[in-house]
Amino acid sequence: MFGYEFYVDPSRCIGCQSCVKACEECETHRGHSMINFDFIDRSETIGTAAFVCWHCDDPTCAQVCPADAIKKGEDGIVQSALKPRCIACSNCVYACPFGIPKIIPEYEQMMKCDMCYDRTSVGKRPMCATVCPSQALSYVRPEDIVRRREKPTNVFYFGNQRVTTQVYMMTPPGADSVTADITEFMWEKADA
Amino acid sequence: MREHEPLWREEFSIFKANERYVSRRQLAKFLTLGSAAMFAGNLWILARSWLRKAPHYARRAVARAGEIPVGGVKLFQYPNPGEQCIMVRTAEDTYVAYSQKCTHLSCAVYYSREHDRLECPCHQGYFSILDGSVLQGPPTRPLPKVVLERQGDQLIAVKMEPEV
Amino acid sequence: MAKPPLPLEQLREQFGPHLNYIPEGGWTEESRHAPDRLVKTHCCFCGQQCGIQLKVRENRVIGFEPWEEFPFNRGMLCPKGVKRYLQANHPDRLMNPLLRTAAGFTPATWDDALDLTVRRLREIQERYGKDAVAVFGGASLTTEKAYLMGKFARVALGTRHIDYNGRLCMVSAGTAYKLAFDVDRSLIPWSEIPKAEVLFVAGANVGECAPITTDYIWRCRDNGGKLIVADPRMTPISRNADLFLPVRPGTDLALLNSMLYVVLRDNLQDDKFIAGHTSGFEAVKASVERYDPRTAAEMTGVPPDAIEKAAHWFAKADRAIAMHARGLEHHSKGVENCSALINLTLATGHIGREGCGCTMITGQGNGQGGREHGQKCDQLPGQRSLLDPKAREHVAKVWGILPDDLPQPGYTAQEIMNAIHAGEIKALFSACFNPLVSLPNADFTREALEKLEFFCVTDFFLSETARFADVVLAGSLQEEEEGVTCSAEGRVIHIQRAVDPPGNARRDSDIVCEVARRLGKEKFFTYRSSREIFDELREASRGGHADYYGITYEKIDLQKGVFWPCPSLDHPGTPNLIEDGVSFFPDGKCRFQVAEWRESGDPVDADFPIYLTTGRVVSQYLSGTQTRRIGGLVDIYPEPRVEMHPKLAAQYGIADKDWVTVTSRRSEITLRASVVRTIRPDTVFIPYHWADEKSVNRLTHRTLDPRSKIPEFKVSACRIHKGAQP
Repeated sequence: MFGYEFYVDPSRCIGCQSCVKACEECETHRGHSMINFDFIDRSETIGTAAFVCWHCDDPTCAQVCPADAIKKGEDGIVQSALKPRCIACSNCVYACPFGIPKIIPEYEQMMKCDMCYDRTSVGKRPMCATVCPSQALSYVRPEDIVRRREKPTNVFYFGNQRVTTQVYMMTPPGADSVTADITEFMWEKADA
Repeated sequence: MREHEPLWREEFSIFKANERYVSRRQLAKFLTLGSAAMFAGNLWILARSWLRKAPHYARRAVARAGEIPVGGVKLFQYPNPGEQCIMVRTAEDTYVAYSQKCTHLSCAVYYSREHDRLECPCHQGYFSILDGSVLQGPPTRPLPKVVLERQGDQLIAVKMEPEV
Repeated sequence: MAKPPLPLEQLREQFGPHLNYIPEGGWTEESRHAPDRLVKTHCCFCGQQCGIQLKVRENRVIGFEPWEEFPFNRGMLCPKGVKRYLQANHPDRLMNPLLRTAAGFTPATWDDALDLTVRRLREIQERYGKDAVAVFGGASLTTEKAYLMGKFARVALGTRHIDYNGRLCMVSAGTAYKLAFDVDRSLIPWSEIPKAEVLFVAGANVGECAPITTDYIWRCRDNGGKLIVADPRMTPISRNADLFLPVRPGTDLALLNSMLYVVLRDNLQDDKFIAGHTSGFEAVKASVERYDPRTAAEMTGVPPDAIEKAAHWFAKADRAIAMHARGLEHHSKGVENCSALINLTLATGHIGREGCGCTMITGQGNGQGGREHGQKCDQLPGQRSLLDPKAREHVAKVWGILPDDLPQPGYTAQEIMNAIHAGEIKALFSACFNPLVSLPNADFTREALEKLEFFCVTDFFLSETARFADVVLAGSLQEEEEGVTCSAEGRVIHIQRAVDPPGNARRDSDIVCEVARRLGKEKFFTYRSSREIFDELREASRGGHADYYGITYEKIDLQKGVFWPCPSLDHPGTPNLIEDGVSFFPDGKCRFQVAEWRESGDPVDADFPIYLTTGRVVSQYLSGTQTRRIGGLVDIYPEPRVEMHPKLAAQYGIADKDWVTVTSRRSEITLRASVVRTIRPDTVFIPYHWADEKSVNRLTHRTLDPRSKIPEFKVSACRIHKGAQP
């Protein structure tokens, strides 16, 4: 939908899994939920997080697909693998830095969040963001998101790989990007 | 998206916008329409040949009797300029004329006095001097004959047989 | 009468719970055949009453679609709402009335089932008296049906014993609010929540029991608000709590009184408000004098500086809201707990202004509507008292009977079960209640049910309680009958009829009216539609505090809900109840109530040294009759677990997922442990949605709050030891 962006704020998640249950009601992949939901560490915390596909600007999954089955459309949505081409080799599953694609064994195909294409292509909001009771997943206009204390970012660093995405992650104010590099946390700094 | 992309990345782009991708449907459509066009074209040609009126041949003097010796050859253009014909005086009072375009691949045929026949130098197609039928070689159709009429001193070309 | 007709395994095989995972026709059916229509209605589950659209095709509910225009939830839903449509076309659905025979439950005709019911009820009443029959209603019934149950009990049966499962939910809050404001409803609409500077959430697991309220709380924090959470466990909303108070079970009163102590000690109270709008302050002031933070810390386990901080934040804020739920109310001093919280709000002047207020979070779908129009043993429509002569006169007139024909107040739900056990009540006519799972001390409940001489249940699945019935009448799901409910915020909303009941099942109101007619009371039950019941209800509630007279179905549709009281047709409704601090008492004052401490009804001791508290999980609803039959919901949390802290687990050599036997003074059960750091080390938690050998209510006790008669679910005593797989 024009003018709307997808924002993910794990700190708001209450672990109700409404997104997981609603996702499998969406027409493009009815019966299979495409949400990646985690209990961070239930023995230590009640923290949970739900993620959707980040629809990267330069999707790693598509780049590594040997069958040229994963396509990114002009609207920026990275689609699930094309049925005639996908060979379920799992290359994309290993390659995605966020761990999003799933292989559905009975279809021998990779499927993942496609931003509820059957809904967003006709002006409706994605199912997960519509039902999320805490709006940890939300699909709103940028002028609505500025009311929050957290700030959106869409730049991620995974080691040497810089990934920019269409979906935004809400981060504490002052953080411009999200980094997942162990050297950030080490006492001795690795060479650049 | 990235600089210096190898060709294979360009050809098999992951971005739908850059895809030069012909779908099976598109190919099938193209073939069907192409075939249909060909078929229509053929029908048109067929129709054209059925509906064609008989061509009108003008009578024209093309030579004088005695202009060429016996066994001699005269080239003339009939029925229109650019359409070469060849006339041969086979006997004292016998003149024959044919289209000079070999019916195989349109080379110019010549008269062989030695063999008393019309020969095509390109692929050795030989035609009878009597009626233009094929004696040997690749041509499958006889040379069209120019029908001549004697009017006093003049040799008049009247029409072509078969009609061209 | 007596035990279920067949062994448990056979009944379970026949009647479930079986799990329904896939919509009728499979997942791809809808791609091939689109729904005929979308019906804008509300969720059948909790008190949030989220707006939702149901996809209907050929008289069957096949899916859902969010309803983004409904202002309360704006399209948001919890997983129960998402999956509710799988109750339709369910293999366990009762399609016919059932009669108990030696061979089990056999389908019967309506005539046979109703005739038997009427005959037995008449026999028992003739032999033992009118009060030998009790009626159970429920808070998931629409308001029309709740009203009907009250009228049915009093006019058709003439018994004084009518009560409902909301007795297990809202009555502590209801009593406390009536004492303070003379009205029992949330004081504020939810739209006030984001406006507060401080939110105090006491005893409410908002993230799991009222998920949509989470977004309101997060928006309050976006606006700079601060969140204080008081709970023995760290529940999902505590992840963003600015201040977390890990209160020991049963000691909330000490915490709240101590907060008031701090407010008064540091002179943070709102003297102007107290003087101008309240009464009874001096008595309360004196009563909290012994609750200094140090003493309270010893009682509650909350550090003294945290208590002081909470008190300061709440009092110093210009706008503050206090919210509470069963954590505060499921106690033998549940009324006192709520009163203490109300006292705090009154003393700090946070009543009757924007961004201020005090509210209970009603848990059951129509917990609010179900406690307004006579489904309670002491209540008449309009939230009026059965003892009030004026109320009796008005309602009797509407019903076409004499005021003296109206019975006196009867027993509350647990008291009815006690009376059945004692042999005083012989027959039970019940709808929308599963007491074997939801009442405390389940073994006692089972004994009582076995003693009933006649038991008639109206339900759509065979609940655990219905297994004891003589007659089971096949009733309707929420989407099969039109009506209104009242949501947690006090908004009266319209439930649409999307489909007709399948098979030979009938609408609940048709069933009740038919029984009433066969009892010879035809002329009082001539309704041909829900609308006619509603119109009579409007008349009956007119002039009471819960005045529905100005509410119509059309007005609700137009305004997307109407807040009561709405005394006339051109009145828009009353979202803010205590405007400018004026209560519903004749003098307009809000009343402070003294809230004195006493020990809970099942105290811990050397034999039973651990606190047991019970509660809910987000994927299940109440006794689980509906949600334990939906596969996708059961997958989220399949089995009840005993939640305990690693420190406690280490004492008994228990690791995560080990079998643990939990024993109380009444019974014991064995479940798997969930060893987590998010619960007090002196407490274990077990959710109550399961039945039979997994039912934690076998451990809980029947102590009631003396005023509200709510059972004390939130604090019992137990001991644990490592067990073996049952």
